[in-house]
Amino acid sequence: MDIRKIKKLIDMIGESDVAEIEIHEGEESVRISRQSTIAPQPIAYAQAPIAPTPVAAPVVDAKKGEADPLTGHIVRSPMVGTFYRSSTPGAKVFVELGQRVEAGETLCIIEAMKILNQIEADVSGKITKILVDNSQPVEYNQPLFVIE
Amino acid sequence: MKGIDALDKAVLQRLKDGGFYSGTKLADDLGVSRATIWKHVRRLEALGVDIVAWPGKGYRLTAPIEWLNETLILEALSPKARGLMGVLECHAVIDSTNSKLMRSLEANMPTGSVCLAEYQTAGRGRIGRSWVAPFGANVCLSLLWRFQEPAEVAGLSLAVGVILIRALSSLGLLGVSLKWPNDLLVGGAKLGGILMEMSGEAHGPSGVVIGIGINRQLPKKMMKEIDQPVIDLHSLFKGAIPGRNLLISTLLNHLLPLLEQYPNEGLSPYLDEWRSFHAHQGQAATLEVGDRRVAGRIVDINQEGLLLFEDEEGALKAYASGDVRLRPGNR
Repeated sequence: MDIRKIKKLIDMIGESDVAEIEIHEGEESVRISRQSTIAPQPIAYAQAPIAPTPVAAPVVDAKKGEADPLTGHIVRSPMVGTFYRSSTPGAKVFVELGQRVEAGETLCIIEAMKILNQIEADVSGKITKILVDNSQPVEYNQPLFVIE
Repeated sequence: MKGIDALDKAVLQRLKDGGFYSGTKLADDLGVSRATIWKHVRRLEALGVDIVAWPGKGYRLTAPIEWLNETLILEALSPKARGLMGVLECHAVIDSTNSKLMRSLEANMPTGSVCLAEYQTAGRGRIGRSWVAPFGANVCLSLLWRFQEPAEVAGLSLAVGVILIRALSSLGLLGVSLKWPNDLLVGGAKLGGILMEMSGEAHGPSGVVIGIGINRQLPKKMMKEIDQPVIDLHSLFKGAIPGRNLLISTLLNHLLPLLEQYPNEGLSPYLDEWRSFHAHQGQAATLEVGDRRVAGRIVDINQEGLLLFEDEEGALKAYASGDVRLRPGNR
């Protein structure tokens, strides 16, 4: 089955109330379940090692996300990569804490495989939390910003 | 041509065959003073034009200039590529062809649009790195493509690397290899680079801009200013170098069909070829990820195009981001 199709399914399920889904396509089948307490990890983007050991993301960030339940609108990373708050080091950051942003405004860049992905705000509001430090690795679905 | 004035262009036009022209002759021909000619020559030099001034002989371009020519580029496109191409823009001077197309993303510029420049004032590489190229000598090409959603773009940067090697080999250049994810190398020196940028919603239509820089002819002094070993097509083709416009058409003939196909086929058809071009398979290296450094060994890439890197404790991980630096003693 196309890995991108699986990723799409995971995204769709992540946004829905469905707990588990199983799909058969020819001889292949895939079951996606959201029982795990951590955010869904699609196969396509996991920065996880080959052996099933924990992901390579900094421990601090993972803790931050779990221990302190986030309220407000959470902007999550759509991909695994490196998080940048400005277009070049030393340049003005895209957004500051406490700043008001409009939907569509660039919040950060995530670089993966030399693709610079401009992450836009999907809602308008005030940036109340910035959860990742500049030039740190981020995981798929990791919370980046809170907009309220 | 936007960005340089008529006199700059007239001076270059006189010099373009690579012969010597005295300041007096240029001044008389163009109806201005010698001081004015000098001023314009200085300005062109600042744009990376390699002009030699010889006392008693005059000015001379170290390499003749082949101007970007929309007609020549379009004529050499395959019917397939021509059908896929959007708008073609040629600029004399621009900040960056990538930045220009990123700005055009919102302006509904059609998919397949191409931006070219004789010179970039703010050419960019990966975050915090610049890309330098002299005026009128290299390829500074950006291409805009619209995808239905970001997932379709996964691994594209590696496929583009493979496609560029195919394009160059169709012109007779063999021996180009890849540094993960997609730097073009010959004998360990950098021939070209690819920088992709994308913007859009996390789960909606995404605009992607693919920037390609290829060193066609780099002046020696510029080579010295670059902080890594570099090589140009001029030295590889030993003078019998394909024209700049033909080179651009050839790249587009390979790139545009790739982009059309990519949402259906993804990276998998390109993986074996990518591996066969990999310059650093099995080599000891340092991987810089953000401000972290990991020492170890480059093992391979995985099915998604992530770099498989083994650290010194023997743990193998897949990395989506990072700068590979070979460790001394490797080559």
